Amino acid sequence: MELFLNITIVWGVYLGIGVFVIGMGWRIYDWVTTPKSPVKLGMYPKPKTTAGRYLKAFKDTFIAPQSAKIEPKMWFFAFAFHVAALGAFFGHGRLLHEFTPLVNWLGDEGMDTFAAWSGGTAGIIMLVGVLFWIGRRTFGPYKQLSVPEDFLLLFLLFGIIIMGDHMRFVGHIHAETYREWFQSLLVFKPEIPTEILSSKTGWSLGAHMLFTDLFLIYFPFSKLVHTIGAFSANLVRSE
Amino acid sequence: MEKQQISTLTGVIDKKMNRQLKQYLDICARCAICKDACHQYVATQDFKYLPARRAELIRQIYKKYFTKSGQFVPELYEGRDPDERLLEELYESTYACTGCRRCMFYCPFSIDTTWILTVAKGILAAAGMTNEMLEQLADAAIFKGDNFEMFRDVVVDGFKDIETQVQAITGNPDAEIPVDKEGADILYVALAGAHSILPAAVIFNEAEANWTISLFEAANYGYFIGDAEKARKIADRFMDEALRLGVKEVVITECGHAYRVAEVFHEVWSGKKHPFKVRHVLEVMDEYIKDGRIKVDPNSITEPVTYHDPCQVGRNAGIFDEPRDIVKALATDFRDLTPSREEQWCCGGGGGLVAMEEFEDLRMKSGKIKADQISATGAHLIASPCENCRLQMEDLDKKYEMDLTVKSIMELVVDAMPLAGREAYEASIERENAAKGE
Repeated sequence: MELFLNITIVWGVYLGIGVFVIGMGWRIYDWVTTPKSPVKLGMYPKPKTTAGRYLKAFKDTFIAPQSAKIEPKMWFFAFAFHVAALGAFFGHGRLLHEFTPLVNWLGDEGMDTFAAWSGGTAGIIMLVGVLFWIGRRTFGPYKQLSVPEDFLLLFLLFGIIIMGDHMRFVGHIHAETYREWFQSLLVFKPEIPTEILSSKTGWSLGAHMLFTDLFLIYFPFSKLVHTIGAFSANLVRSE
Repeated sequence: MEKQQISTLTGVIDKKMNRQLKQYLDICARCAICKDACHQYVATQDFKYLPARRAELIRQIYKKYFTKSGQFVPELYEGRDPDERLLEELYESTYACTGCRRCMFYCPFSIDTTWILTVAKGILAAAGMTNEMLEQLADAAIFKGDNFEMFRDVVVDGFKDIETQVQAITGNPDAEIPVDKEGADILYVALAGAHSILPAAVIFNEAEANWTISLFEAANYGYFIGDAEKARKIADRFMDEALRLGVKEVVITECGHAYRVAEVFHEVWSGKKHPFKVRHVLEVMDEYIKDGRIKVDPNSITEPVTYHDPCQVGRNAGIFDEPRDIVKALATDFRDLTPSREEQWCCGGGGGLVAMEEFEDLRMKSGKIKADQISATGAHLIASPCENCRLQMEDLDKKYEMDLTVKSIMELVVDAMPLAGREAYEASIERENAAKGE
């Protein structure tokens, strides 16, 4: 298990984050250094002020009201997934530092209960979202339109979420132990706590991180660059 | 497939590449939300008309030849060569698209599929697969511009004939259709045919506008084949005329794409800023009515009347209120279509489709949505400021037996104007028709 964990939760993390950061940096550089379309591609109605344009692009990107109108079911699952993913992302902030004000307010036990509920809810919502997308891509025009990239990403997401959920609902390792491990990575003195090495949950963590590492490595070369490209594309809509 | 040919075809993507195109090709999630936005896909359920699929064909080439990951594992993205099979698929998907950009409206990333398809048209042109009919029409327009002296007398004589009718209907012997008038405020660019000249001439004369008519028509088939160079040359014909005459504004007739070419694209294509304004004739008419420069009977239309937003006038040019205000100024029972304005369904005839026989079946099938939309209003009179939309709706009327009358806004306005010579003019027309009947 130690070798597996060294690969997945130590060196894989460095590699994943490294490729992700460099890859996304390169992607942004590539876009920014490509000349803009000389023709304005906006459509109407469009806001008259620059602030209005940015506000609209913000709304179009984060709420996508037009998409909600035309395909509410898809919008609902997509919106729920993205909100849950954002929640889970911030929840993982506990690996960097304990949310002290929240602990002071809720107490140790209260914090654990809150984390269990919020993390668990986010995990289930994301799982349902991914299963919905997988199901959607198995029939009709969605299947015809899908390419292997779509399934690879869904597979990786499914792996990340299911193993994360396993750790959340079945595992018995406390956040503090994970924090100890993650902080050791941050200071480039990687250490895997004994509690992880000796627990079956260690395998779950290893698998969760294996999928995460691969996800991060592939991210900049995938359609997931919509996370950084959607806003500017939506801004073009009102130029 | 030969390397040389691949290089030629992929070179088109390279030449047309810009930030927006690159982002559109990189970020599409293939969520297919766009499928329900496209009238052709909704009406036929045919995969090749799904907007994301149309763009995907270009993306497949892009991934294989322009991205490192696609070069490394093309299978991951179904990267493809621009081979014969792909080109055939591309032709069907691309030339069938009416360029309405309704898919862009609903896309969560606002991906402009029409913009991606301009690249497709470029690739098809490089492969010798441009739509022949549209290309011939574009070339004919350029030829006319280059050799105008050959056509001048016929064109000017045509204007003189229409001028006589304008004088008769207005009852004003001084009414004119000025040609080559230096110092005019307005250069009016019509379509070929009296239907877009006569009503405009009546309106400009009644409003006592200082205007002149362009010797060239507004229609631009270069735009439909996605050839910016040809489209520019076609528009240059009247833009150069506007410069030569020193007009203050170029007013485009009731045509969708011609207005967009003049207002949005021409300055970029020519690399020169226009020293004049470009307006749609709808804006001018609305202004004349609101300023009282022309008088209209507010009870001119008592039957239910509806209005169709042409995609290139509404969603893609932002003219929503003016035509509605005009129709409401003449009619007692205006009924809007549902949906309308920026969410308006395409009529199915845009993008040059009405001129392409091969797409007639698709045009009629996909136009069923428009036919149903019109029928739901209960109106049998519809106005629309685009020639292609009107031709399409007339065809839909025949196909679906809708008992529909399709008119331009200018026609409705002229019908509502109290004109001194109208009665006598109409009587003479009736007499003429009766004589022909005998």
